[in-house]
Amino acid sequence: MLMRLNRSKWLVPGFAVALGVVFLVAQWVNDQPGNGLVSLAIMVAFAAALVAFSGRSATFEVMRNPKADERSAMLDLRATAFAGLVVITVVVVAVFYELARGHDPSPYSQLGAVAGVAYLLALIVGQRRS
Amino acid sequence: MQNLIRELRAHAGLSQGSLAAEMGVSRQTINAIETGRYTPSLPLAIALARFFSRPVEEVFDADAAQ
Repeated sequence: MLMRLNRSKWLVPGFAVALGVVFLVAQWVNDQPGNGLVSLAIMVAFAAALVAFSGRSATFEVMRNPKADERSAMLDLRATAFAGLVVITVVVVAVFYELARGHDPSPYSQLGAVAGVAYLLALIVGQRRS
Repeated sequence: MQNLIRELRAHAGLSQGSLAAEMGVSRQTINAIETGRYTPSLPLAIALARFFSRPVEEVFDADAAQ
């Protein structure tokens, strides 16, 4: 019926492999093709795990296709928000830690600013849409 | 939120998987709704109630504690 959100089951595994290729190219340019191949292998293994276990594990299923239905989308949204909160907390702590050591808090301060601006923009856009 | 989905589904002789296919959601979502771990969106709640030809307020009891 109308509840299923259209999104390919191959989008996330494909993105993981594409990211692995970017890792490979970036490290190849830096004359480290071996490390690049290891990075690519890790990302391909992750994509393969998503495909292999998504039928047996609800967690892998949501990871593979986060927009499969409304509950998956909610779980994905909450997990993304939690992960973002953890990263922002670490960034803020890192800023204070660097300041306490008398060091320049960069790049943590810039990352914190990006997070703050992104949150503000998301609030503004969200309020206009709902 | 308490609901009658499990009873209505069983009465209709449907599995969680087949009801999930009818609704376009995963079997886990139907299970989560039946056990009260997940409150469906209004469109999904209405679709479920229509599927069983019942008023939505009869299928879902917003006042009862789980």
